[in-house]
Amino acid sequence: MSQQADRYSQQNPNPMPARSIPKPPETIEYICGDCGAKTAMKTSELIRCRECGHRVMYKPRTTRIVRYQVQFEAR
Amino acid sequence: MPPARAPAKRAAPAASSSCSAGPAPRTRIPKAGPSTSADVKPRIGASSSTTTKGKAPLRPSSNVNSLDKKPEVNKGEEEWAELMRQTYGSQKGADWYSKGVKSVEDKWELLPAFLKVKGLVKQHLDSFNYFVNVDIKAILAANSHVVSDMNPYYYIRYLDIRVGKPARHDTNQVANVLTPMECRLTDSTYSAPIFVDIEYQGEDKKNRQRGVQIGMLPVMLRSDLCHLKNKNESELARMGECPMDPGGYFVVKGTEKVILVQEQLSKNRIIVMRDPKKDETTAEVTSSTHDRVVKTYVTTKNKRLYLRHNSFKEFIPIVIALKAMGITSDKEILQLICGSDERYQEAFGVSLEEAAREKTFTRRQALEWIGARVSPNQAKDDGGSYGQKLTPVDIAQQALAAMVLGHVPVRNMNFRPKCIYLATMSRRVLMAMIDEHMVDDRDYVGNKRLELAGQLLSLLFEDSFKTFNSELKKRMDKILEKKSRAGPFDAGSLIRQGGDPITSAFVRSISTGNWSLKRFHVERAGVTHVLSRLSFIAALGMMTRISSQFEKTRKVSGPRALQPSQWGMLCPSDTPEGEACGLVKNLALMTHITTDVPEEPLLKMAFLLGVEDISLLTGNELYRPGVHLVQVNGTLIGVTHLAKRFVRTFRKLRRAGRTSEFVSIYINHHQRTIYIASDGGRICRPMIIVEKGKPRVTSKHMKLLKEGKVTFDHFLRSGLVEYLDVNEENDSFIACYESEIVEETTHLEIEPFTILGAVAGLIPYPHHNQSPRNTYQCAMGKQAIGAIAYNQLNRIDTLLYLMTYPQQPMVKTKTIELVGYNKLPAGQNATVAVMSYSGYDIEDALILNRASVDRGFGRCHVLKKQTIPMRTFANGSHERTAYPDPLPRPDAYAFIDRADGMTAPGATVNQFDVMIHRETPIDTRGPSTEGYKPSPITHKLPEPIQIDKVMITEGEDGSLIKILTRQTRRPELGDKFSSRHGQKGVCGLIVPQADMPFNDQGIVPDIIMNPHGFPSRMTVGKMIELLSGKAGVLAGKLQYGTAFGGSKVVDMSQILIDNGFSYAGKDMLTSGITGQPMEAYVYFGPIYYQKLKHMVMDKMHARPTGPRANLTRQPTEGRSKDGGLRLGEMERDCLIGYGATQLLLERLMISSDAFETQVCETCGMLGYNNWCPKCKSGKGVIGLTIPYAAKLLIQELMGMNIMPKLCMEDTV
Repeated sequence: MSQQADRYSQQNPNPMPARSIPKPPETIEYICGDCGAKTAMKTSELIRCRECGHRVMYKPRTTRIVRYQVQFEAR
Repeated sequence: MPPARAPAKRAAPAASSSCSAGPAPRTRIPKAGPSTSADVKPRIGASSSTTTKGKAPLRPSSNVNSLDKKPEVNKGEEEWAELMRQTYGSQKGADWYSKGVKSVEDKWELLPAFLKVKGLVKQHLDSFNYFVNVDIKAILAANSHVVSDMNPYYYIRYLDIRVGKPARHDTNQVANVLTPMECRLTDSTYSAPIFVDIEYQGEDKKNRQRGVQIGMLPVMLRSDLCHLKNKNESELARMGECPMDPGGYFVVKGTEKVILVQEQLSKNRIIVMRDPKKDETTAEVTSSTHDRVVKTYVTTKNKRLYLRHNSFKEFIPIVIALKAMGITSDKEILQLICGSDERYQEAFGVSLEEAAREKTFTRRQALEWIGARVSPNQAKDDGGSYGQKLTPVDIAQQALAAMVLGHVPVRNMNFRPKCIYLATMSRRVLMAMIDEHMVDDRDYVGNKRLELAGQLLSLLFEDSFKTFNSELKKRMDKILEKKSRAGPFDAGSLIRQGGDPITSAFVRSISTGNWSLKRFHVERAGVTHVLSRLSFIAALGMMTRISSQFEKTRKVSGPRALQPSQWGMLCPSDTPEGEACGLVKNLALMTHITTDVPEEPLLKMAFLLGVEDISLLTGNELYRPGVHLVQVNGTLIGVTHLAKRFVRTFRKLRRAGRTSEFVSIYINHHQRTIYIASDGGRICRPMIIVEKGKPRVTSKHMKLLKEGKVTFDHFLRSGLVEYLDVNEENDSFIACYESEIVEETTHLEIEPFTILGAVAGLIPYPHHNQSPRNTYQCAMGKQAIGAIAYNQLNRIDTLLYLMTYPQQPMVKTKTIELVGYNKLPAGQNATVAVMSYSGYDIEDALILNRASVDRGFGRCHVLKKQTIPMRTFANGSHERTAYPDPLPRPDAYAFIDRADGMTAPGATVNQFDVMIHRETPIDTRGPSTEGYKPSPITHKLPEPIQIDKVMITEGEDGSLIKILTRQTRRPELGDKFSSRHGQKGVCGLIVPQADMPFNDQGIVPDIIMNPHGFPSRMTVGKMIELLSGKAGVLAGKLQYGTAFGGSKVVDMSQILIDNGFSYAGKDMLTSGITGQPMEAYVYFGPIYYQKLKHMVMDKMHARPTGPRANLTRQPTEGRSKDGGLRLGEMERDCLIGYGATQLLLERLMISSDAFETQVCETCGMLGYNNWCPKCKSGKGVIGLTIPYAAKLLIQELMGMNIMPKLCMEDTV
């Protein structure tokens, strides 16, 4: 996590007040593309929804704080 | 008469209001109707199916009304039935019918009704359905027997074939529905299993087995086999599918593939051509059967007729050919070809004499003469199959029977039909010899046939099925040749063994586009294309596209020119510019492409209607005056004396539904022949039937249609509307508008704007534009960024452009509503001021308002996909994702999760940041070890991107990761925009709102367009669009700019006046810079603008120094490889001309591929380390700098045994 802090202090000299960043989970619960149920999977496992057996799974949104860089327009 | 009228008015009071004040009913002229009037009576319910039609599976089942027994629906049918009774029944309603219908209001409503039944891509679906339901069974029947050579006692016979529904096949649970969306996401193929029923000889009894799978067939979306067929909007949404999507394509290995419509010259028809230079006339027939495709010619040489064919080494005099086929009497030949016309007899005389000179009088002599001239290959082919040497007579007979005019069958050596066909060809050649105008036009659309997906797939299936059978036979032989077999002979398991040739043939051909079928001598590349999803219109336009088989390089203009006969069939505007111009065409809105209709019922019907059988006639009777020949699908079947009556009755029967509606019949008066066509691939379109100067469709019919009580099929079956193909159109007298109807008129156009296609239909007021401008817009509409489909955010495509805030156009067209462009638009209504502003608007550049841009004008998303398959290697090891420890570059791994080594949606990725940390096994060959080396996927482009989706799935081979990245772009300098009138321009300047001009209401334009764009382009449609758009804005309504119609300028001006604006659409503007009023009034109002996919961000490129190509050491080429900018040949010429030697030296060598090397002055060869390898000394070796490419050239020449020498000179 320390690398994260470095990254932001580099980019932004006045960061927002320090916030407790949620720790990324050890196993990620993937979201089923069909029924929306969450299934925890390891990389080695077969990719399949536990509820409906669908095989397209999506990764949930990141827990890290994202700062969008302002896109400067061309003048 | 009046009692019949009264109930009709009660049934439809509203429609009769316009006609009730009509004149008193005229006295009815009693009509001596044809005796077939009972047959012509319309049949209402679809339950009584057509018996004469052999194409039962293709019958549109849209007539749900008669099937369910709800009282309201039945009532609707009864109203229709009542209307029909008045239209036809005992002639009572004829007068009532004729008086009140001056113009059929809303007859264009037939078009949406047509599209509801047929859809925009119906031709693809029909063709595929025909293949699956009919053709595949015919192919099976033709190849149903597999008999072992080892032991003919054992056999396998196919009894039936059918195709299931797409299902996930590798799971052993109950069949899961496989949706197209799942196939797109998992890179798999949307295919359905093909099952056969077999019967085979067991050890002692015959066995039967049902449902043996022989392969998988890729399924066309929305066809009969597809799960999406007949699904409503919410069901489609549940399957992740867009209801606006037309279907008609395949999903193969995750990519959407379209089989384009192919245009060809019609098969099995005689085409007569003339070469005036050589004074040659040729009749050509391409005979196409299931076995082979061969061309036969009858051509002239020195005014004599010859038969030309690949099977023969030289030209065969036509008389000898006919004699060899059994017509030995000269008189009979003369009569068959010339009839009693002396001009023809005279012209043919020389040909008869030639045969006599060759001393061929009997059939045997003629056959011997031909047998000596059969080309060696052909003789070998024929002889080889019997394993013995054939006599010349047999060889000749074989060639004549099978090869010459292969599509005319010779049964039991009865050559008579073939003789007559050959005689017809000769007659056509004679006719063209005497009268130059009797040649055929190859570019005439009636002589063309369109080949669709179904035909191509059936070709592929036939080929792969034959391969499958021959392999099956080999396996069978292998088992049966063993004396003692382990178990009983089991054909079912035998079929399942072996690879999957049918599946792989389909997948390979569709995904590569190479149709290479050795068996049918078909070798075609580029048959399939990836469905373009740049915009909704691009996808739709692709489905209606027709590609021509002509070579692009040929300099002939004929095939490219606009043909008058393509009116209403092919879009006159939508064709690409450049090399494919005119060769790639698009279907018009109302076209339909026919599928094969069996011709036996037609033959029967023709004979019943009084056609005399050709086999009962001699040549003498064929060409008598007043006699018309009757041809069905190119074969002569007989003659008739009452040509007009025959055609009329035939058409009546067709209108009554006694034949398929797609059978066409027409008279060619020049050739005095009646042609009946029922073959597939003809283009046709529906038209309103006009009888006695009155269109059959009336406002009453339209009212019922609008109320949803009847469908297009009712109109068709009741004989109000019929399909005409190009040839029959030529035999009809068609009025464009009701006012043009005269006594002889036979048909009325449904709506003139249907001559345009779906893409050209987007243009408002296209009839006011110069025609190339419409063509330009057709090309640009496909590049416009907008909404693509309702499921666009769930799709993971390689490249997807989406507009953030798309708007439907203020000025729309009927076509826009019909194709659904208003639901999936690609553009925004920009307020445009047509005026000059600064100097940044020259050459079509546009000035944008910064505030508009800030509010989201022209803003778009760019979504890109990265596919990362996890490969599995031969030794069982496979790639994996992991979190590296220690982190090589902590910054680059900021968003990588510890758990799975992947980024997650929402992350921002900068250049060189890692998206997936993948690891590849070090040893992929030997025994699997634990060692892995990192092979991370990084983001390469300089612009940062957002991760939109991370998808993981199990693909067909191993697991698969797909990352969707997103970028939001606002318009910037150099981005390309265009209106809908072929007026493209780039953004030249973005101006603060304060500096923009404004009108007295404070309205500020979004775009300022330079008025110089108008005079030379003559896009008056754009000006009218502005006017209508402005009126629409003020009135709060959407206006129409439909072709050959639309909102009138006068009405628009009136709306402007009513709202206090100038009628001309001009406003008084105040300059934002000076605060002074402008000196002139400015044309000011909304125009629909499209943002095109060409954006500066994707093109901007520069490099100081960078990568070099390995071989030449010169800078790489292209932006994607961070390449250099080339100082090309012409630039070099400039520098040479100017004499800038030092600059040249710098550009071409020092900054490129300078190379220090050494040369031996004595021998002129390259040396190194102060040593010349040839002279074996270092005496004359000197150093110099040359381009590395020059050094490479020298060495390569030396490698080819050429020794270049470098001779040194002193430079002063």
